[in-house]
Amino acid sequence: MKFRASTLRLLLLAVSPLLTDCSSSATKTAVKPGAESASTVAATTAKSKVKAGDKGAPGSGAAKDEEVDEYATTTADVSDPLQPLNRGTFWLNDKLYTFILRPISKGYELILPRPVRKGIDNAFENVKYPIRVVNCTLQGKFKRAGQETGKFVVNTVGGVGGIFQPAEKIPALANLPNEDTAQTFGKWGIPSGPYLVLPLLGPSSLRDTVGLAGDYVLNPVNWPYFWYYSNQSKHQWVIVPPLANTLRATPAQMNTYDTVTKDAVDPYLSARSSYSQSRAEAIKK
Amino acid sequence: MTLRFLLPLLLLAAPLAASAQLAEAQVRLKSAITEVLTVADRAGNRSALPEKLRPVLEKHVSFETMTKRSVGPGWRQFTPEQQQQATQLFSTLIIRSYSSKFTPGEHPAITYQTAVEPAAGRVDVPTSMVYQGSHYTVIYRMEQVQGWRITDVVIEGVSLIANYRSQLDAQFKKGGANAVISSLTQSVSRPQ
Repeated sequence: MKFRASTLRLLLLAVSPLLTDCSSSATKTAVKPGAESASTVAATTAKSKVKAGDKGAPGSGAAKDEEVDEYATTTADVSDPLQPLNRGTFWLNDKLYTFILRPISKGYELILPRPVRKGIDNAFENVKYPIRVVNCTLQGKFKRAGQETGKFVVNTVGGVGGIFQPAEKIPALANLPNEDTAQTFGKWGIPSGPYLVLPLLGPSSLRDTVGLAGDYVLNPVNWPYFWYYSNQSKHQWVIVPPLANTLRATPAQMNTYDTVTKDAVDPYLSARSSYSQSRAEAIKK
Repeated sequence: MTLRFLLPLLLLAAPLAASAQLAEAQVRLKSAITEVLTVADRAGNRSALPEKLRPVLEKHVSFETMTKRSVGPGWRQFTPEQQQQATQLFSTLIIRSYSSKFTPGEHPAITYQTAVEPAAGRVDVPTSMVYQGSHYTVIYRMEQVQGWRITDVVIEGVSLIANYRSQLDAQFKKGGANAVISSLTQSVSRPQ
């Protein structure tokens, strides 16, 4: 009962901005501030400059349009109308990471050696098989769904519950690209929507946040938890699998965060650009 | 007679020349990576790494091109001194960032895939890399800048240049070349 009410609320919360977004999308694109779409502005200013006669570049007359390189300008930057709010959440997350998650992650890394952590990661990734197979199927990637199933069976049986990855030794099953619910939405042509920084979880978008809910439901580590709430049973242990999953995933999350922000000029923009680029790439695969 | 002999040869030569370019770039990349790894192994401790790697990287990476592209169209409004200063700062930042990813002695297992030519004078070399038990897809973008040099690295779909472009372009719009340079100075001087 309780579970049902809370999911409904969550869904409503997730969908309501989508509804309002649809109705006002036309006006929004018209009023969109120029600074937001850096790349398009860059492209247009460059074009006008070329028309104006390229006088501002002493010594680089032969530079053509080299700076406005297709590599950089074709990568679409995500729209970010909620930037002030997002920057606030980003700042808050930074503090949360520094004072809470990083110490926990360091402790975890100190207690368990890398091979053990890798085994635990492998097992949790293996269990996430329903997320991958359902989304492969929803995207019409039936061959990949079959490969995923093969990989799951091989790793579960041959790899002692997925702790080891014997499937990586089989060329047909090795190194399959990851799939999740938000990628399915992307494949279906649903745009990413505005960029969102989620508390604790970090960079996301409206589409990807809704996708996260799908991943959450499809992840078996959360299933005992659902069962617990739907039955009002007394088994407190149900909290253990999701908590363990969060703990084991923390070092990787911290590592990604550091990679993206440490040598950035503006950590917020760096995280946003990295996120939108990597998601666009993931959808393509 | 000679023409009849030469014509098929000429026809063959055109695609061969293109693939020769691809091969040349790929060979260049392989030797660059080997060289970097050898130097990294000899460096011993991590803090000495950026200094040791700089001359090798400067040989194989075109930091001028990287900086120019990362700034974007605003680059034309930089004076030559400002361009030089920005390049110097940006290369320091990139080299430091790159060095911090290394653990001396641990080598990634790199598989080179078929190189492609997205435009004349450009070669993309896709690779897949296994480092510390994780898979990464890395594309090296190379161009003819006094020989084949790396001009961008795309890791898991994230282009280094596009990433910095989003940041430096915002700085340029805020306060021109000076803002770009002062933001770079700030990043470089940030404690590790």
